[in-house]
Amino acid sequence: MSTPDRRSLPLFAILGVVVVLAVVWVGVKFQRPSTPEAWAEPGVPAAVEGRTVTHAQGTTVVPLNPRRVIVFDLVALDILQALEVDVLGVAGDQFPDHLAKYRDAKYARMGTLFEPDYEAIHAVRPDLIITGGRSSAKYANLSRLAPTVDLPMSGKDYLATVVANTELLAGIFGKEAKARTLVEELRKSIATLKGTTAGRGRGLVVLVTGGRMSAYGPGSRFGVIHDDFGVPVAAEGLSASLHGEVIGAEFIREKNPDWLFVIDRDAAMGQQEGGARQVLGNELVHQTSAWQKGQVVYLDPGTSYLVGGGIQSVKHMRDQVAAAYAQAR
Amino acid sequence: MKRLLVAAAVLAVLAGISLLIGASHVSWAALFSPGPDDRALQVLVISRVPRLFAIMLAGTSLGVAGLLMQMIARNRFVEPTTAGTAESASLGLLAATLLAPGLPVLGKMLVATLFALAGTAMFLLVLRRIPMRSALIVPVVGLILGGIIDSATTFFAYRFDLLQSVNAWTTGDFSTVLRGRYELLWVTLGLTCGAYAAADRFTVAGMGETFTTNLGLNYPRIVALGLVIVSLVTAMIVVTVGMIPFLGLIVPNLVTRVLGDNARRSIPWVAVSGAGFVLLCDIVGRVVRHPYEIPGGTIAGVIGSVLFLYLLLRRDARVG
Repeated sequence: MSTPDRRSLPLFAILGVVVVLAVVWVGVKFQRPSTPEAWAEPGVPAAVEGRTVTHAQGTTVVPLNPRRVIVFDLVALDILQALEVDVLGVAGDQFPDHLAKYRDAKYARMGTLFEPDYEAIHAVRPDLIITGGRSSAKYANLSRLAPTVDLPMSGKDYLATVVANTELLAGIFGKEAKARTLVEELRKSIATLKGTTAGRGRGLVVLVTGGRMSAYGPGSRFGVIHDDFGVPVAAEGLSASLHGEVIGAEFIREKNPDWLFVIDRDAAMGQQEGGARQVLGNELVHQTSAWQKGQVVYLDPGTSYLVGGGIQSVKHMRDQVAAAYAQAR
Repeated sequence: MKRLLVAAAVLAVLAGISLLIGASHVSWAALFSPGPDDRALQVLVISRVPRLFAIMLAGTSLGVAGLLMQMIARNRFVEPTTAGTAESASLGLLAATLLAPGLPVLGKMLVATLFALAGTAMFLLVLRRIPMRSALIVPVVGLILGGIIDSATTFFAYRFDLLQSVNAWTTGDFSTVLRGRYELLWVTLGLTCGAYAAADRFTVAGMGETFTTNLGLNYPRIVALGLVIVSLVTAMIVVTVGMIPFLGLIVPNLVTRVLGDNARRSIPWVAVSGAGFVLLCDIVGRVVRHPYEIPGGTIAGVIGSVLFLYLLLRRDARVG
C-alpha cells in the first residue's frame, strides 16, 4: 500500500467529522442526570456486625439494617418496593409503570443492568449491592466493591423462586412480617386463579420482537402461566431456552390454542406498541380458537418481560390473566 | 440451455418439497381429496406458497445483485454483505424505526434504500481512491466499511435497547412470510429482469472504465444503474425478510467459474442457483428442529462460510 491519495483526505475528513458529531450529539442528548446531592453525603461507616446471607452465588456477610442499597435488578426493585424498603441507586433507564418512581433523578444511576458504572458505585460507598437476572454475570466484579447478594431467577419453580427471593430480601431488611402477608396474599390469589384455568382450554405463550415470533413452554421464563397459573399446555415439548423457540403462524394454527398469551418485547423496550398485534393479526392465527373466542391476552410487556419474578409483577400478571378469564366467561 | 432446464427441474423438485414441509401437516393426498375443511389447501395458499415465492425472489435477486456488484467493483469477493450495502440498509431501517416508528413498510424501504445507496457509493468512492488495489484489498475495505456502519447500528440499537430486534430483523428468516406480507418482493423480480436486459452493458463495464468508454458507452451511467438495482434489492430484502449472508458471493462465483464473465449467459444460472441455495437453506432450517425453525439466514451463514473458505483457499483462485 502506498500513501493515501491527496484527494481522499477531504472524504475521510468529512466522514470523521460526521462520526464525531453523531457521537457528541448522542452523548449530550442522553447524558444521565448526575445527582451530586445523593453522592455528597458520606457513607455510613461499614457496620461491623452483620448477618450471613446465603444466595444464588454463595454466602455474603451483610451489615445489619443496610441503608445505602444499590439495586441492579428490576425483580429485586419490585420486591423491595413491595416491602417498603428504599434504595439509593438503581441501574438502567427502563422502568415499567409500577416502578415508575425510580425514573426520578433522586435515585442515582449506577450504569446499566449489563454494564455497571463501577466508579459511581465506588463513590457512593454502598452497604449492599443486589444483582440478579440480567446483572448476575457482574456479581463477581460488584462483590469486590461492597457486600453483594445475587437473586436467582429461573423459570423452574417460578412461584417458589419469587417467594424465596422475597423472603431473602425481607430477612436482610427485617421485614419478615410484611413478606409473610405479601406471600400469603399472592399464594391465595394464584390458587383461586388455578381453580378457574384448568378446565378452560389450552394456552400458548408467544413473544414477539422485531417482527418474529417465538414460543415458550413450562419451565421457561414465562412458564409461570402453565406451572403456577395452571393453564394447560397447547404445545408440548417446548424447551425452556432463554429466547424460546422460533415459530411461524402455521405453528400457532396447528397447535390451535384456546388462549394466546402475547408478550410484545419491543413495547417493553419503549418502542411503539402494536407490533405484536400486527404480526399476530394474520389469516392463520385468525383461525385459532383463541382468536375466534377473543381469548388473546396481551400481557403487560413491562411487568411480564422486564420484571418477570417480582412479587408485584407476578401479582399483576395474575390479575391480568384472571381478568381475561373472568371476561371470557 | 438444456442444462439450464435440468437445473430448473431440480429447483422445481426442491420447491415441491418446500411446499410439503412446515409446522402443519400438508400432504398431496390431503390436497387432492378435499375434506370437510380444506385446511391443507388454506395452509398452502396462505403460508407455503407465499413463503416459496419469497424465498425464490430473495435468492434470485440477491444472487444477481452480487453478480452486478462484482462486475461494478471488478472484484470477485464483493457482494452486498461485504461492501457495506446490507449494513447500510440495516442502519437505514433502524433510523426509520427510531425516528418515524409509524412509517409504512414502503417508507421504511425507501429510507433503507437511500442508506444502501449512500453506503455502496461510499464504498466505490473509497475504492477509487485506493491506489494499486489488489484483489484481496477490495473486500477487506468493504468489510471494514461494513464494520464501521454496523458499529453505528449497534451503538444506537444498544442505546435504545433494540439490539435483539435488530438481530431478529437482520437475520434472514422466512418464518413470518404469509400472504399479504411479502408482496413487495415482487419488485425485485422486475429489478432482476432489468439487470438481465442490461446484461451486456454490465459485462462491458466489468472490463473497466476506459474500455467501456472506448466502446461509446456511458460508464458512470451503467455503474449508477447497477448501484440502484443492487441497493433497491438489498433494502427490500433486508426490510421484508432480513439478510442472507454469502449468497451474492458464492453463487455468482461458482457460476462464473464455469460459464465465464458473460452476464447474459450467467444471469439465468445465477438466478436459478440463488433461488435453489436459499430454498435448500430454508428447508434445512425447517427440518432440523421441526416443528420449530432455525432461520434460513443462519443456515446460509453456516453453509456459506464453508463454501467461502473453499473459494478462498482453492489453488487456482482467479481473483480480480
